[in-house]
Amino acid sequence: MCFTPSSTRVSGAGVASVKRAPVGLYLASGWLLVCLFSAVFGDFFPLPKWDEFDYDNLGLPLFSEGHLLGTDYDGSDVLSGLVHGARTSLGISFTAVFIGSVIGGLLGIVSAYRRGWVDSVVTMYFNVSLAIPTIVLTLVMVALFATPDIGDPSAGWPRELVLIISLTLVIIPILGRLARGSALSWSGRDFVLVAESIGMKKRSILWTHIIPNVLPAMMSVAFLAAGVVIVIEGGLAILGVGANPGASWGSMLAKNRGELAIAPHTTLVPAGIIALTVMALNYFGDYFRLRIDDRESRI
Amino acid sequence: MRFQVAIRNLAKAALVLFLVTFSISILVRFLPGDPIEILMPFATEEGRAALRAELGLDVNVVQYYFRWLSDLLRGDFGVWYASTGDGGGVPVRSMLAIALPRSLLIMLYTMVVSLVFAVPLGIFLAYRAETRTDRTISNVLFTISSIPNFAIGLGLAFVVGVQLDLLPVIGYVPFAESPSEHFKSLVMPLVSLSVGLVATFSRLLRVDTIATLREDFVTMASSKGLSNSWILWRHVLRPSSSTLMTSAALQMGALIGGAVVIESIFALNGFGMLLASAIATRQYLAIQSLVALIAIAYIVFNLIVDVLYAIVDPRVRGGRG
Repeated sequence: MCFTPSSTRVSGAGVASVKRAPVGLYLASGWLLVCLFSAVFGDFFPLPKWDEFDYDNLGLPLFSEGHLLGTDYDGSDVLSGLVHGARTSLGISFTAVFIGSVIGGLLGIVSAYRRGWVDSVVTMYFNVSLAIPTIVLTLVMVALFATPDIGDPSAGWPRELVLIISLTLVIIPILGRLARGSALSWSGRDFVLVAESIGMKKRSILWTHIIPNVLPAMMSVAFLAAGVVIVIEGGLAILGVGANPGASWGSMLAKNRGELAIAPHTTLVPAGIIALTVMALNYFGDYFRLRIDDRESRI
Repeated sequence: MRFQVAIRNLAKAALVLFLVTFSISILVRFLPGDPIEILMPFATEEGRAALRAELGLDVNVVQYYFRWLSDLLRGDFGVWYASTGDGGGVPVRSMLAIALPRSLLIMLYTMVVSLVFAVPLGIFLAYRAETRTDRTISNVLFTISSIPNFAIGLGLAFVVGVQLDLLPVIGYVPFAESPSEHFKSLVMPLVSLSVGLVATFSRLLRVDTIATLREDFVTMASSKGLSNSWILWRHVLRPSSSTLMTSAALQMGALIGGAVVIESIFALNGFGMLLASAIATRQYLAIQSLVALIAIAYIVFNLIVDVLYAIVDPRVRGGRG
């Protein structure tokens, strides 16, 4: 095949996979729970507001009194920025991945099910979107729709909305191809052939045999995709087209990047938080994949 | 058979290329905001009309697209309009002449560095598969592969560039100017880009090598009394490397525009930064030409993957695989 992304290849089916210590899984779930909790209940934490500038305390180091993780160059509290950033970063990421999985999954499964010209058109769409690097696609989208007029930065759609839309466009072909490939491979399995031979309707085969088996594979990739989206959002912020300054983890580090020599924690702490979160999401995705491999080898 | 497959793949590639560039045309043409306002804010009516004609905004999108395409095929990538807003500018081609070689070099170095580390590591892990060493290193690699490259870049810039003051944090020095400074300016960007790739590549190679080690011809070779390292390097590596090659080739395509964040952190002004500033300053013709180049790179590397498959794995030749 001409266009086969390496990421969708399911290799070795559990044979060569490494058994990961469950302690990693506990740490990962613990961390994600902390992030989710901050994202939902962050407003009730006893912290200064993230967009409130404490002009008497500019660039405080880590572990200062009243500011546990210090402040940045215009006096906003780093910890409360991180707590608020969890809502923006995870909100953008999970929304984009959820919508992208639903649309991509539907497209992929329908095209595997209908075959013919529908399949050709959908596959071509996936290939075309994959031919543009994700960062370039999102860069064009965000720059053009969020700031249509460079003279007037307030014009255009809200940044977060444009980010969600463009990142959804990134996710659709990735999960769509996975869903299509997975649906195709399941439709060749013996139990599907048996179901067909006893006269079961194609539509009910789809619902009872194909979709329930495609979903777990999509779940595991969706976790990885959520991490990828957080990273892309961070990259876009560094390029100056992310969420509003300081509003997400990525835009926090982008805002403070110039002060790396003076107040390194204001950049490196958000960068570390992004890394930890992506790590945790990858652990989850990998855990799901191992469980699916185990299950598939038994079917 | 083989010829037909090649023709079909080429036709598909051409179609993808057409659709990518044409959708960029549509996107550029139906954007909110008037490009003339941005490129030439102080111009007279005649000046605006002239620029409108030059950009092809006076014709419909299909004519616009084919005008741009025929210019591109003749080597004309369009004009980069100056920020003075009077409609003057420099050819995009001359800007590409500076930025593209940098990005290609960075891509090449990154690939060489990543493979030099990943191949021995992957083989070693497969050789020691399921031992404590393998488990520990594999877990570490898994963890490392999830650190975003900009986090590594920023961390390095702080520790190596600011605290230890060993390497310059920003800027690019051409090889011709000073080879030693050239490599010094690229060490941190290369490490940032390579760490994740080493982890990814060695994990891929490990899995495939473990599968190859189970094959009969390996048992045969070792029963002939060949040494382990001879078997691993001469018999096992080649049939195990097809996934690695696919991944590497696709990464090469992705690195041309996708290294833009690292280019931005270390102020390398490569292709990615050129595209980013084209987007930021609404250089419509430049955006279109640069994205087309990226799509061409992606498609060319995909075709290379197909050819490499045939070279590396004889089973694929002639469509028998």
